[in-house]
Amino acid sequence: MNGVTKRIRNWLEVRVGLDELLRSNLTDYRVPSNINLFHTLGAVAVVGYLIQVITGICLLIYYIPHADHAFRSVQEIMTRVPYGWLFRQMHVVGSNLLIAAVFVHMVTIFLMGNYKRPRELTWISGGLLMVITLCFGFSGYLLPWTQLSYWATTVATSIPTAFPVVGDFVSRLLRGGSSVTGITLTRFFAVHVSLLPPLFVFLMVVHIALIRRIGLSATPFGRSDEEKRPLTEFRKKLHPDGYPYYPYLLQKQALMGILYFVVMFLVISFAPTFFFPEEATVPADAFKTPESIRPEWYFLAPYQMLKIIPNKFLGISLQIILLAVFIFWPFLDTHKEKNIFKRPVLRGVFIVVMIAMVILMWWGRR
Amino acid sequence: MRRYVMLLGLLLVFPLTASGDYREEFEQGFLTKTWSGQQPEENFCIECHSSDKMKPEFLTLAEEWKASWHAQNGIACHDCHGGDPKDSSMSMSPHRGFVGKPSPAEVPEFCGKCHIGILKNYLESGNGKALRSTGKGPHCEVCHGSHNVQRANIDIINEQRCTKCHSYERAKVMKQALFLVEKKAGEIEDGIKALRRAGVYPEEQERSLFNTQAEFRTLFHTVDVNLVNERTDEFTRKLGAIEKDIQGTFIELRSQKNFSAFLMALFSIMGGVLFLIIRTPDK
Repeated sequence: MNGVTKRIRNWLEVRVGLDELLRSNLTDYRVPSNINLFHTLGAVAVVGYLIQVITGICLLIYYIPHADHAFRSVQEIMTRVPYGWLFRQMHVVGSNLLIAAVFVHMVTIFLMGNYKRPRELTWISGGLLMVITLCFGFSGYLLPWTQLSYWATTVATSIPTAFPVVGDFVSRLLRGGSSVTGITLTRFFAVHVSLLPPLFVFLMVVHIALIRRIGLSATPFGRSDEEKRPLTEFRKKLHPDGYPYYPYLLQKQALMGILYFVVMFLVISFAPTFFFPEEATVPADAFKTPESIRPEWYFLAPYQMLKIIPNKFLGISLQIILLAVFIFWPFLDTHKEKNIFKRPVLRGVFIVVMIAMVILMWWGRR
Repeated sequence: MRRYVMLLGLLLVFPLTASGDYREEFEQGFLTKTWSGQQPEENFCIECHSSDKMKPEFLTLAEEWKASWHAQNGIACHDCHGGDPKDSSMSMSPHRGFVGKPSPAEVPEFCGKCHIGILKNYLESGNGKALRSTGKGPHCEVCHGSHNVQRANIDIINEQRCTKCHSYERAKVMKQALFLVEKKAGEIEDGIKALRRAGVYPEEQERSLFNTQAEFRTLFHTVDVNLVNERTDEFTRKLGAIEKDIQGTFIELRSQKNFSAFLMALFSIMGGVLFLIIRTPDK
């Protein structure tokens, strides 16, 4: 360590106790010895979110949130702004990958039963983070002001009208009028860049703080690690026989973070139009409905579900109930067994739900 | 647990009993069609011309128009014929600008309301002069048709059509003069389509091509081979510039892909190195 670095380190040490801070959070912080790659998916989601923030700020510099200029400004970003195409591609591909990473993260947490007590709040904060991530996708979809985004938003914002009494109000609130206009664009922009990010950061801080406070849960695939004791007092889950977070888990997280970048650049290099169908390169035209409109892949299953249920109010209510069941699942599943392989009914329900989702997505895409 | 299941059951029963008092527009949107598809507007011209009460000779017009280049570009009946397609009682009223079917001598003016440059050049041509002086002669409809107007292309000039009135010799020379420019324009059009597929919005190239083609096509309605030959170079140069622009965009897209592939390789190497140095904890 050279003199300057040493001086900076000493300066920080006497003020914030740097050594102790690093020791308690890196080497003394121990993780279960049977930890696996699935435990890195949360960190991958954080990496994905950081990419969205950085690329989003770069796009903000050139993007104009106005119906007359939004499409053109996005085209300028793609064609004239130095490396603008890279930031936009990273933002678009990254948003899809982030949703996929968050989804896989939640599925693995579910499979490992790590939502069980005392981690109900960790699951709920994670579920809400996923909902906000989807809201990011939904609000960001309109911003390029293309035919695809315009008409997809027109349909999506008409969905609340299926609700009696408040439906029209909610729809008008989202649109800022009776139809999707420049007002809708500025609303979605405001939500996308100023309302959702602080909410997301707040929930992420809560989520990570809860993980650190309660301690990581060991996977049931390895050694049994059940919290079967009566929950009468707070007891942090320590892993005295586990491994230090640094370097063992951190390097795995770094590896998965790098893999996330590799996948992102793989899509940008070899399938740059994967998330840009032809309608996504045509400016929004309120008087011309494009040939095919469909939402992003992550909304395809609920979209198809809405289509096949004749009573739309029932369809939307059902979806809200399913979302509530998903978020409050730890309170519904009070079974002590964590390992899903020892729970045939839950395993069966999980498989049916996954298959149903895949079928609905495939069906919705047609 | 039982309480939760009962609560869930109740929540599911509630929507089933709900009145479903939601907007008709939304219901129609979902039940009668997919989210995609053209939203048909009420149009009494189409409605009447498709009804059983219509005379057989007028019955096919709507279908012909639907297949036309005009329909694809949003040019509807009232744009040429006037009238009000949204008001059944006034749809054919002269007060709403209805002009009906033009006589052959009126056709050039009828089409020339929009195709202004072409009208000027046509009227200067032998065909136009003949129509003006005698009331007879080839007008727009003879070559382009009336309702099923297709996108103009060089094949409109053909022996079968031209020899209806005169020999094909002069028209053949004219077609040869047009060939190179039209061929190049076709290639550029393919390039623009490819750009769209590559996720680019080729607005500038499209506009330049449209303007160049429109200018060129007004020119050949003069049926003056010398004039076409004289200006072919000028149009070829203009089209060449558009083509170069398109090629430049493709080169740019390729370099973007390469740069992204480079970043992918860089991260792959980083991942590989990290994988190799990753430490496995001692058991």
